[in-house]
Amino acid sequence: MSDHPRNRPCTGAQIRPSSSVTSRLGELSRRAALRAMALAAAGVASIGLLAGTLTATAHAGQAAASAGARKVLQMPMRTDGPKSLDPAQGSTQYDNIAVSLMFETLLTFSYANPSVLEPVLLSEMPVRSEGGKVITFKLKPGVVFHDNACFPGGKGREITADDVFYSIKRLADKRNGLKNWWLLEGVIDGLDEYKDEQNKALDSGGTFNYDAPVRGFQKVTDKEFRIVLTRPVYRFLYTLAQFQLSIVPREAVEKYGDRFSFNPVGTGPFVLDQWEPKQRLNVNRNPNYHDVRYPAREAWSREDRRRRMDRAAGQRVPFVDRMEFTMFVQDQPMWLEFQSGKLGYIEVPNDYFEQAFDKRTRGLKPEMAEKGITSHSDVLLDFIFTGFNMADPVVGGLTPEARALRQALHLAVDHGELNEVVYQGINSVYDGPIPVGVPGHPEGGKAPISWTTPDLDRAKELLAKAGWPNGRNAKGEQLTLRYSTSNSEQNRKISDLLKRQIERLGVSFNPVLLDFSTLIENVNNKKAQMFGFAWGSDYPDAENNLALFYGPNESPGSNHYNYKNPAYDALYDQILVMEPSPERTKIYEQMRDMLLADVPYIGSMGRTRFYLMSPWIVNCRPTERTWSWLKYLDVDDSKRK
Amino acid sequence: MLSFILRKLLASIPVYLGIVLIVMLCLRVNDPVQAYLGKSASPESIAAQREKMGLDEPFVSQYVSFIGRIVTLNFSEESWERKQPVGEILASAVVPSLAITVPALLLTTIVAIGIALLSAYMRGSITDKALMFAAVLGMSISLLVYVVMGQYFGAYWTAQQGLDVFAISGYEPVHESVPGNWIRYCLLPVIITVILTIGYDTRFYRAVMVEETGRDYIVTARAKGATKPKIMFVHMLKNAMIPIITHVMITLPFLITGSIVMETFFRIPGMGQTLITAINSKDFPLIQAFTAVFAAIFIATNILTDVLYALVDPRVRLG
Repeated sequence: MSDHPRNRPCTGAQIRPSSSVTSRLGELSRRAALRAMALAAAGVASIGLLAGTLTATAHAGQAAASAGARKVLQMPMRTDGPKSLDPAQGSTQYDNIAVSLMFETLLTFSYANPSVLEPVLLSEMPVRSEGGKVITFKLKPGVVFHDNACFPGGKGREITADDVFYSIKRLADKRNGLKNWWLLEGVIDGLDEYKDEQNKALDSGGTFNYDAPVRGFQKVTDKEFRIVLTRPVYRFLYTLAQFQLSIVPREAVEKYGDRFSFNPVGTGPFVLDQWEPKQRLNVNRNPNYHDVRYPAREAWSREDRRRRMDRAAGQRVPFVDRMEFTMFVQDQPMWLEFQSGKLGYIEVPNDYFEQAFDKRTRGLKPEMAEKGITSHSDVLLDFIFTGFNMADPVVGGLTPEARALRQALHLAVDHGELNEVVYQGINSVYDGPIPVGVPGHPEGGKAPISWTTPDLDRAKELLAKAGWPNGRNAKGEQLTLRYSTSNSEQNRKISDLLKRQIERLGVSFNPVLLDFSTLIENVNNKKAQMFGFAWGSDYPDAENNLALFYGPNESPGSNHYNYKNPAYDALYDQILVMEPSPERTKIYEQMRDMLLADVPYIGSMGRTRFYLMSPWIVNCRPTERTWSWLKYLDVDDSKRK
Repeated sequence: MLSFILRKLLASIPVYLGIVLIVMLCLRVNDPVQAYLGKSASPESIAAQREKMGLDEPFVSQYVSFIGRIVTLNFSEESWERKQPVGEILASAVVPSLAITVPALLLTTIVAIGIALLSAYMRGSITDKALMFAAVLGMSISLLVYVVMGQYFGAYWTAQQGLDVFAISGYEPVHESVPGNWIRYCLLPVIITVILTIGYDTRFYRAVMVEETGRDYIVTARAKGATKPKIMFVHMLKNAMIPIITHVMITLPFLITGSIVMETFFRIPGMGQTLITAINSKDFPLIQAFTAVFAAIFIATNILTDVLYALVDPRVRLG
């Protein structure tokens, strides 16, 4: 295989014929040239004819599509799309998108306000009792699985409490890879023991018994059940909104086994029609979809109402008959397909940002607006940072000198320049680990203790206070730092920039670009002195990010900084069981400020995604916090070209 | 002739066994199961996958079993990533690759021979120089430039002007496609492949033609009063066909394997894209089957080339 399969050096190009032949052949040239011209003209005419035929065919196809009056929505998927359509085995954003079309969770984030949870497969929000340790759920009546050969007579049956228990237990089954077990570990009473026992049985040649009881699963009726938690953690409700916890029927998993991913059966608004991995994913409307309505008018913000996002309020969904997703590994074809009006919306690739938006104002360019294209920006729950290993003898520890050293390094970093050079200035820079839009995030991005404005003079003072004046210690040895990050073009740029900025202090800063698994291994083994990472919050609650600094979560857990502060840990234990309230937000702020004083990382930044929408897509306001909103989309075919 | 073919076939068996052996050894230098499941995979899941794949068996037994599957054309082994038999995956990927490479080869060969004839007969003239300049220019420009420009000007811009002839990217199987749409998807990649390869072929064929113009039989034909077109299209083209056929035959295996860049940029689910995604996702059974099949096709084409040679020139059989 080769990209130039026929790329071989030509041979004998310099061989010359005898002069007599050349002269005689010269007489032929005019006639041959005329023939060649005639042939070329015929070729051009043929291509013209073909072009006309194809254009007519394409237009005939479009006319036929509109005559059929089926609403079809074409969408892009960046990269090569989902790896699995089995919720228990999914992990990427693309798995999330695909799974959300065909499956549903008990709860989800509201489309109108993605910070708020709302019931999907439940008739009402779950009720917490016994101090939040016991949660009672009531399933919505009339919700049936897709019609499928796995059911008697091929007719989808109603979901029951057993389906919920079964779907949760699947995450404990090691045959599903256990990649999503972290969502449930230590949360449900008796589930950890169940996991260990059943997997042990598998190891010894037995079976994974899905009928074995779990203490925390209590069935009241087919439609009502309780889940008992090990401790009253509020975030469990957010966990239930994760796509990996979508409800699946046991019959389908048992019928299709390993191929369940290619035969997904859920309760979702769409049914799989065709999945060609890396190419396309087509789904058709689920004719038996339960009664789900478009968010009410009052649920939308004023800004959203101004954009007429409330126009379908109260109407039953889904609106479209079919969704067709195309996978694009390369950005150019996706961009051109969108520009041709063939895709409903796109996430604007970085390289095309300035073609769509004014870089300074971030406003949509007039030529885009003239085509009827609209835009939307979505602030991601991002925490991009440069971490310190607090267990490291040089940069770690909570002594005043160690703190001063980290503070000095932080002040040497110019996040504004980093944002401009690497992210085209579209990121938000903020203090603390709590992302934009989440309670506890500092107003305007600036906390009472702020490090995001660089100050080289103060950085040098702090460095001297730390025992490293001009980057050298009392013995004259230069401070040498090692920074590990994953190998990519973007990280190379970031590393070069950090090196230039930090070395202004007289220290030596040495970036090391590693493959991601080696980086993770080094961080998990506490070998990385400084490391570049990013954290995308699983749910819009600061608890998710504050857990990254909780002492017991030290590496190989999620506390990669190995930050250990008993006062901080005590506050974390406190907030873990609190419901959302101003008191809880106050504690979040207190914890944020403790981190800002101790500086276990240099940061922070959050990305903003920019989207463009075609004039013919309706009800579209993309958000990455959930993908259950795809069912609300509609098309207006009269606005297609 | 039959004994010649048998001799060639027998000689190629140890070559093929050697290739498969090297491929299998190379693919096992790093544990393929560990690479696929990642560093965090549990020892139990690694052991289970190894057992499922037969990778826990001695290497010799794996080798014999794999050769047995190739001989019986049994590629029912499941792809780790796509959970489909690898035979099915390869079979479905061959057609899209051929849909691009076969028309491209035919077009390139016909046009390149035409240009080469013209160029050879007008040797030294401005037309010849202009054609050779265009050939070198065509060869010198990167494939990526053709793809990017082709998608922008060829597909997007022309569609904006109302001439929706080329698809920007994508592919629809013939049986699922609206008549004409399939051609729309194939047309631009075919044209780009032709533009990309025609320079090499034209220069090669021209050199062949130029060499032929100096042969005695041309002089004899001329002396006998044969017309110039007859010399050009009958005598010379016929004799130049041997290197042309050889050149075309050598490219045949590559028709089946497709082009990674072309298929990736145009989202054509052909063999090139199948292989690159299999490599990226460390899909061991698919990579192993692909390399074994490719090696077999390559050897078979070489044998076929030798047979054709022997048919055309009996002296080859004696050698």
